[in-house]
Amino acid sequence: MIAQRVGTTALRRVAGQPKTFFTANLARISATQTRQVATQKLTHDDATNLLAQQRLQRPVSPHLDIYDKKQTWFGGSIWQRFTGSALSGGLYAFGAAYLAAPLLGWHLESASIAAAFGALPFAVKGGLKFALAWPFAFHALNGVRHLVFDLGYGFAKRTVIKTGWYLWGASAVAGSYLAFFL
Amino acid sequence: MAALRSSSAAARVLAASSRPALRLQGASIRGFAQLADGAQHSTTAAEQPAKMKTFQIYRWNPDTPTEKPKMESYTIDLNKTGPMVLDALIRIKNEIDPTLTFRRSCREGICGSCAMNINGTNTLACLCRIPTDDNADTKIYPLPHTYVVKDLVPDLTLFYKQYKSIKPYLQRDTPAPDGKEYRQTKADRKKLDGLYECILCACCSTSCPSYWWNSEEYLGPAILLQSYRWLIDSRDERKAERMDALNNSMSLYRCHTILNCTRTCPKGLNPGLAIANIKKEMAF
Amino acid sequence: MASIARSALLKQATTASRMSSFATKPVVNNALRAAAFHTTSRRDLLPPLPQRVDGTINDPAPVPPTSPSHGSYHWTMDRLVAASLIPLTITPFAAGSLNPTLDAVLCATILIHSHTGFQNIIVDYIPKKRTPRARKIFTWGLNAATVVVGLALYEFETTDVGLTEAVKRVWTA
Repeated sequence: MIAQRVGTTALRRVAGQPKTFFTANLARISATQTRQVATQKLTHDDATNLLAQQRLQRPVSPHLDIYDKKQTWFGGSIWQRFTGSALSGGLYAFGAAYLAAPLLGWHLESASIAAAFGALPFAVKGGLKFALAWPFAFHALNGVRHLVFDLGYGFAKRTVIKTGWYLWGASAVAGSYLAFFL
Repeated sequence: MAALRSSSAAARVLAASSRPALRLQGASIRGFAQLADGAQHSTTAAEQPAKMKTFQIYRWNPDTPTEKPKMESYTIDLNKTGPMVLDALIRIKNEIDPTLTFRRSCREGICGSCAMNINGTNTLACLCRIPTDDNADTKIYPLPHTYVVKDLVPDLTLFYKQYKSIKPYLQRDTPAPDGKEYRQTKADRKKLDGLYECILCACCSTSCPSYWWNSEEYLGPAILLQSYRWLIDSRDERKAERMDALNNSMSLYRCHTILNCTRTCPKGLNPGLAIANIKKEMAF
Repeated sequence: MASIARSALLKQATTASRMSSFATKPVVNNALRAAAFHTTSRRDLLPPLPQRVDGTINDPAPVPPTSPSHGSYHWTMDRLVAASLIPLTITPFAAGSLNPTLDAVLCATILIHSHTGFQNIIVDYIPKKRTPRARKIFTWGLNAATVVVGLALYEFETTDVGLTEAVKRVWTA
């Protein structure tokens, strides 16, 4: 396009010069710039239909695969959802199991769970506690962060990015504290 | 992504090509993307070692719709290219592959045409410097989760239809008191700062995962920012109607404060804050 | 009442447990979706449909009917519930555990919070237009699961030691 425009300017510029130069260069220009274009008259409806047909074939551009992973996969928001679903999913599973326990002969009373849990080796105990405490800490801390967002604070770009990273550190510390020092 | 295999075979290296076909006697020709014309060109190239940079660009051609989209690599010398990604794109189009298609117009961040995904973040190619701190390839995709018209050109029909649906114009019944113009206080005018500058480039909307999954019904950050721009305009008299139009589960409340919008806005605006303010206004 | 309900509920409970595994599925679904996006080239968990544009390009997108109970009221309630969870979760850390009333309030709040959370996941990832049947199944599955878990929590609160006390006992076991 640019090249074309430059070409025409050049043509205009050399128009006054001897004819041989003009034709010689014209040949070179047309050799590089030829475009076979055929146009065809369409009614409005035909054009609309053609566009609709073309739309059906369009691909969708990539999104999750290519978007900055720091913002999609390591963003606080999606992990808020992951941790929340894990915790609530756990609660729902426990609730259902608790109701079904007498039927299935399980013992899910707090006393028996506590006893079973107490019998586990320390490492497993700590691991399980952390597996519960970290999502809880993350969800709670990020929940507060989101409530602050909802009040209209903390929206500066730097603050958003910074608090996003602090969240990981703070939740790891808080989760470890809850798991190992409580 | 397996579908987008990078066709390195197609990589065409262009080192020091000047366009002889267009070098006409006495005519000083300068393409948009070139730093200098012919004469200076060769001297700078001689002094500095070539700074080659590879761009991987998403390609899809509507003329062969059954062919899957692919990544095509182009390597150019940054010494001969302007500093911005748009300069590189224009140079590639001018000198390596004229079939490469992208939108561009103002090249100074005011038209919003060249919005695309560069190295994982949506931005305007004309405002995005070519990263020179490392030798990694720069990856360029069209705006994420949009229907692709060709190469880097997304279809924004729905985006504009959604914009139209929020009635982006002053709605008012009472005539101006002085019969001339609708006046507003400085404080009221100040509320529009950070909102009126939006150029509707769709960077923020297409960075929003919520908008990816629910673009049919969720309006997305850009349109909501515009909506807020009219909501808080002291001269507008349809505030209640505007809020009612947003008051359903989809239009506004699919926003989960992910804030990719705020992080990506090439104009430095804050769509996330605008949406939070709408929610706050509508809360009780 | 709890023990009476219990025997009568047994049959219901089995179906309910099935239902609840159903309702927690969005979580699994989500993870699967994530995995699918990450590791495979198949993007076929709800790939976008071919592009269709309703009306001409000059028609505005349709504006949905106003319904504050799904919009602003819902949002406000969500935030209030979430905010009330802050003191409710801090108190047991400070006081050791909660008294039965506050413990019940905590359980109810957590239940509502979980329910609306799952609801958001369903609304986000199971579009009504696209998959009306799945949407209906998941929505009602979630409702049923929430009722079941509500009953379970009621049982737990009335026959067992209460949520905070139970967590405390397990934690220090």
